[in-house]
Amino acid sequence: MKTINEINQKIKDGDTVVVTASEMTEIVAEYGPREAAREVDVVTTGTFGAMCSSGAFLNFGHSDPPIKMSRTYLNGVEAYSGLAAVDAYIGAAQPNRDPEIGLDYGGAHVIEDLIKGEEIELLAEAYGTDCYPLKHIRTSITLDKLNQAVMVNPRNCYQNYAVATNSTDEILYTYMGTLLPDFGNVTYSSAGELSPLINDPYFQTIGFGTKVFLCGTEGYIVGEGTQHSTDVERRHGVPTTSAGTLMVKGDMKKMDPEFLKAATMPKYGPTLYVGVGVPIPVLNEDIAASTGISDEDIICKVVDYGVPRRERPVIKETNYKELKSGKIEIDGVEVPTSPLSSLKRARRIAEELKKWIEEGEFILTSPVYRLPSRGYTVRPLEIRKPSIMVRELESKPVIVTHPDENIKDVARKLVENNINHIPVVDEKGILQGIVTSWDIADAIAKGKTRLQDVMTRKVIIAREDEPVEVVARRIDKYDISGLPIVDSNNRVKGIITAEDISRLVGKRDKGGESI
Amino acid sequence: MKAWLRFLPSIIGKAIISEAIKKHNIEFNILRAHITPRGGKMLVDISGPEERESIKFIEEQGIEVNPIIRVVKKDKDKCIDCGACISLCPVKAINMEKDWSVEIDDQVCIGCGFCAKSCPTKSIILFE
Repeated sequence: MKTINEINQKIKDGDTVVVTASEMTEIVAEYGPREAAREVDVVTTGTFGAMCSSGAFLNFGHSDPPIKMSRTYLNGVEAYSGLAAVDAYIGAAQPNRDPEIGLDYGGAHVIEDLIKGEEIELLAEAYGTDCYPLKHIRTSITLDKLNQAVMVNPRNCYQNYAVATNSTDEILYTYMGTLLPDFGNVTYSSAGELSPLINDPYFQTIGFGTKVFLCGTEGYIVGEGTQHSTDVERRHGVPTTSAGTLMVKGDMKKMDPEFLKAATMPKYGPTLYVGVGVPIPVLNEDIAASTGISDEDIICKVVDYGVPRRERPVIKETNYKELKSGKIEIDGVEVPTSPLSSLKRARRIAEELKKWIEEGEFILTSPVYRLPSRGYTVRPLEIRKPSIMVRELESKPVIVTHPDENIKDVARKLVENNINHIPVVDEKGILQGIVTSWDIADAIAKGKTRLQDVMTRKVIIAREDEPVEVVARRIDKYDISGLPIVDSNNRVKGIITAEDISRLVGKRDKGGESI
Repeated sequence: MKAWLRFLPSIIGKAIISEAIKKHNIEFNILRAHITPRGGKMLVDISGPEERESIKFIEEQGIEVNPIIRVVKKDKDKCIDCGACISLCPVKAINMEKDWSVEIDDQVCIGCGFCAKSCPTKSIILFE
């Protein structure tokens, strides 16, 4: 039907027809893909989302005397320097080395500040060689002073992504934002019908060398991104979960801070909001149909982030029309949604790229090769020593008590068994609460006699089918010394203490047998 | 009207608010409270036909009433309209507008601060 060269000629002649992916959805719905393919030359897409796998290569230039930097810190954020003397790679997700600052100012913030023209402190350490004698540098840099500042993002623009929610009774802080307990909210990150790789799901036009909008300037796709996958479940041709990804590159010196933003996901870490827009040449009817996809036809899965495992349970399916309405239904209850990626800026990016093409400033490129559209799956990392499950722990017969038991008797149980925690259970053995020796001491000091008035009812628990590491994290998070192990019916099966875990870790470190 | 009420330790034992509610036709909603033996402060929302009279009464009883003009504000330069805050608001004070901008309704906001803590770009300012 059409070729990229023909479209480029039209761009140069100033009579090309460019529409955004949202506009294309309406056009295809009204006139059908055949007519749309005849009329429209280019569809512009856009996304402005948190993309942790981003970063930049910086070349600082040589000092006199020269230095071979082996460690570099930019405003306190370490950049990887295992490259030649004065090259470094600053990763967006790197936290600050100052624990006081920690997650609040990381690699992403350095990148944003550089682009804004701010002065950045550079600290470099070296071991010293005959050709590079200097061992220490403290100076400041700006973007202008650098020889090169090249953004190279190994994984951007996920083609669709999981939608997050939380079944547990605790607040979770994740890369998908803050997740409220008991399915209290839902977060999603894809821009839906505007998202670049959703509009060309089999990469008919996108590949190595495709020129794109990247943070306000021209950038290039330099291949498929890491974790690129293709062999996944699809609906209307579009993956229902994370699949294809892009590796992109662009010159930071030409970027516009309006289309890039450093952020910190609370208690998770720094990340970079990256603005990407991919132009899709409408070469044929097939591509017109793909770019015509609507939010309603893009299916995605709501996943329970309350399960901190590689395979998280799917709660239900939804689509971007529902998600963008601000609420979805889970178990008959309306749950509010949050986009996480900026849909407003995604739309602006698609509009901006449209303008560039219309004004003849942006010519399309033919990719050297197309991104692979089959044969790719994401391999897991198998841990040589598999995680030990809570169930496998050696557990002594558990000592329990009942809500109506006398405080004195409970105190005796603690002392006789030399323990600090007693789960409180009902007659069926189902967990009701927990008391610690401290609670008992406190009760005696305050003259309380009934266990019911003393016990903690909201108990942090360990489930039998959880890896020990997950429980260790929970002990850390809540700063507690022990927690009861329960089965799927909340029946108490044992108790696990911080000591048990450290003993276990100690054994494993020594290479001994696991318990 | 939203206001910070400040108490001196000398009146901490008095049931001034309940008296104000009995005396005057008002709705009284406590949004935040921090009370210690050394005094305290409360963020409240007072409304109803006798709002003015009730405030006068509360002041006469020795509580300092500092009306607040704003509870919360979005820093327009920093906010990227990602909407992470929207689903976290317990009173639906944060909404996505038609053009996908995020707006916070100061009138509805109760100042719980959960959005501010969870904002990836720290763009939400709470007024104390």
